[in-house]
Amino acid sequence: MSTDRGTTPGPESPSGAGTPTAPSSSVPRPRARPADRRVPRAPRLPARLLARLPGAGPRPADGGSTTARDLTVRHRLLLALSALLTLSLFVSYQGVHGDADPLRTSSAPAVLSLDTALYALGEAQRDAGAQAPTSDFQKQISVAAQSLSAAAAEDDLGGPAGRQTLQTIAGLITVYAVKVQQSQLQPDGSVLREAYLSYATSILTEEKSGIQGRLKDLRGQQRATVHRQTSFGPLLWLAWSVTLLLTLALGAALLETQLFLRHRFRRRYNRQLIAALALSTGGVVTAVLFTVWTQQGMTDTRHLLDRHLAGPLIPEAGRHTASYLAHTGFRAAAAVWILIGGILLMALAETGLRRHIDDYRFRPR
Amino acid sequence: MSAHPGGPATAAPGTRRRPSRRLVRTVTVVASCLAVLAAAVVVGVRALGQEPTVTLLANWTQDDETNFRKAVIEPFERKYHIHVDYQGSNAESQVLGADVEAGTPPDVVVLTGPGELAEYARQKYLLPLEDLVDTGDFGDSWAKPLADGHVYWFPLKTDLKSIVWYPGDVGEQQRGQAAHEPAQWCVGMGSGATSGWPGTDWIEDILLQRYGPKLYEQWARGDLSWQSKQVKDAWKTWRDLVGAGGDPALVRRALTTPFGAVSRLVTTEPRGCTLEHQASFIRGQNAWRQARGRWSPSAPLLVGAPANRAWEVSADLVALLHTTPEARKLIRYLASADAQRAWGAETSGFSVHADVQPGSGGPDADWRVPLARTLRDKNEVHCFDASDAMPPAVRDAFAEATIEFLADRDHLEALLRSLDTLSRTSGLTWLPSVCARTPD
Repeated sequence: MSTDRGTTPGPESPSGAGTPTAPSSSVPRPRARPADRRVPRAPRLPARLLARLPGAGPRPADGGSTTARDLTVRHRLLLALSALLTLSLFVSYQGVHGDADPLRTSSAPAVLSLDTALYALGEAQRDAGAQAPTSDFQKQISVAAQSLSAAAAEDDLGGPAGRQTLQTIAGLITVYAVKVQQSQLQPDGSVLREAYLSYATSILTEEKSGIQGRLKDLRGQQRATVHRQTSFGPLLWLAWSVTLLLTLALGAALLETQLFLRHRFRRRYNRQLIAALALSTGGVVTAVLFTVWTQQGMTDTRHLLDRHLAGPLIPEAGRHTASYLAHTGFRAAAAVWILIGGILLMALAETGLRRHIDDYRFRPR
Repeated sequence: MSAHPGGPATAAPGTRRRPSRRLVRTVTVVASCLAVLAAAVVVGVRALGQEPTVTLLANWTQDDETNFRKAVIEPFERKYHIHVDYQGSNAESQVLGADVEAGTPPDVVVLTGPGELAEYARQKYLLPLEDLVDTGDFGDSWAKPLADGHVYWFPLKTDLKSIVWYPGDVGEQQRGQAAHEPAQWCVGMGSGATSGWPGTDWIEDILLQRYGPKLYEQWARGDLSWQSKQVKDAWKTWRDLVGAGGDPALVRRALTTPFGAVSRLVTTEPRGCTLEHQASFIRGQNAWRQARGRWSPSAPLLVGAPANRAWEVSADLVALLHTTPEARKLIRYLASADAQRAWGAETSGFSVHADVQPGSGGPDADWRVPLARTLRDKNEVHCFDASDAMPPAVRDAFAEATIEFLADRDHLEALLRSLDTLSRTSGLTWLPSVCARTPD
């Protein structure tokens, strides 16, 4: 029969009645067999649940020891929960932080660049009515052109279609500037001056196909991108809920295993399992904190970019955005530590139980 | 392990643990396969999600753009699962020029100017279309080979320009009287970046109707001076018809009104104007629909001739700048009878595709059918819009000149001198011919 003398769940007598395979001094002894002397009792609910897990193996016949089987079940459960938690935490973390970098480096600056271009063109339109060509008009046109160049440099500006739109707008701005200059070269009050200015104005303001209409469309698309990047949608809620449940499950499994080992082997603490508990708890808490900070920064950024920004408010918004999204790059880069932490977690679970499992690997016939 | 007194110690898992290990192995393998499969599905879905795209630049904006998308682009996208990135702008030439210079031209372009296209073809930016399009569907006059023997464009839509529109309730006598009153001509020169082109159409048509297609072609090829008596006469005729440099209110109205908005004056009470010298597409404007617009040949009203000597026409020409499988599909599609028919049905333009015959019915048949027949009549002489056929620099200067002349008639000599100087600039590309059938 069984070599093990564990008591749960089968009735095993401390004297070894019915279990003639008590280890002799010539056989390598398991390091601890304290539970062998314990009085058998009915299996607890967690144990019964654990026994149903895949890979638990067949229950020993009545009277057989279940220690090896219990260890194997806990070992596999801890590894599986660690792997699942690592995966779930990584996916949840990436779901938030994966968008932080493009938001900080691309989408938010693009919205501000388009705001700047729109504001500069509005100012240029005001200067276009001046009696003589002014340097202010040229300056505003330059600002608009530079802002478009900056927006075009962003990686995520609507793909090729967005870039093509920007090129079209850049071409229209050149034509607009030429028409304004033509008007300013005409005598003040002349019909030609009025005509050229009307052509320029139509290039700038025509609904949809004018410069401003196109810029507003593009800005709307970029704002939609910002909304998508900063939203904490149902999928993220689900992912984080699963992560937290897995964290609780792993924590409970680690504690249960700790108690199991204490009962069976009279070891007060298993340092590896305690370290695993601390690592998983600390890791998840840190990840949650990082995520809350990043998500808060992203939400603040979205609220800021949704506002109507003009003039000095735009560079100010740029500074605010930079501060909201500060350190998001560092926090996003921390995703790799989740994977490293997961490997470490599994290694701790493995080493914490391996020596006990090895003790029960061989049994005499 | 060490031996046991009771017999050799054997691996406990032995036969008892084999089933569970096998199960674990099976589960592991299945899980790995599922993971790989899931990754493949994700990659596949993403790859499929990146719909192939073709970029198209044209000059249709606002309602025209909406109609073009609905009638032509969306059916193409549905049929071929290719996204068309459409950019519409009335500053198309400037945008295209910037795109080409920047090395990022659109794949396909629709331009009204064969002169501009010829310039791009000379610079090797355009790609030949003989392998993609059956040029016989359009005839030599519309899809004409250049000097190198290649065809670089074909018409998506054509328009008749030597016509004058009037409200359906205006009789012939009233039209004759209105033609001598500048205020009765609906003139709108505004067109954003291309403002002034309606004025060029006037000059061209007057020259064509008064002096015939031979001289017109000579001028469009750059072989006739702008300061010649005939060209100068055309400008002066236009001046008299529309009151260039005359009544400031009238001049202001003509200069500052967009060409697409001036027809609203036809529907006001009392009428702001009665006649509009404009291409066939203007009939699509709501105002002309309300006024049940009719057309008459332009020669009797512009130069007092009994009939047109030839017909000025324009076309939206499709050309290929960047060859990709998607772009080639779009070219083939735009050259198909289906696409041409669909676009023609949405606009007041006409297809000259051999397989797209003008319908003889419908509520607009009384004006549409004669227009379509005139465009396709092989016995008529069709001359391309001269300014569209000229090099872009000359075309733009011509349009500017009409604006300045309308404001100040005394500038004519200086304007024509400048145009002559510009036309003599070396390196310009002039089309060898612009008329389809030039009589002796």
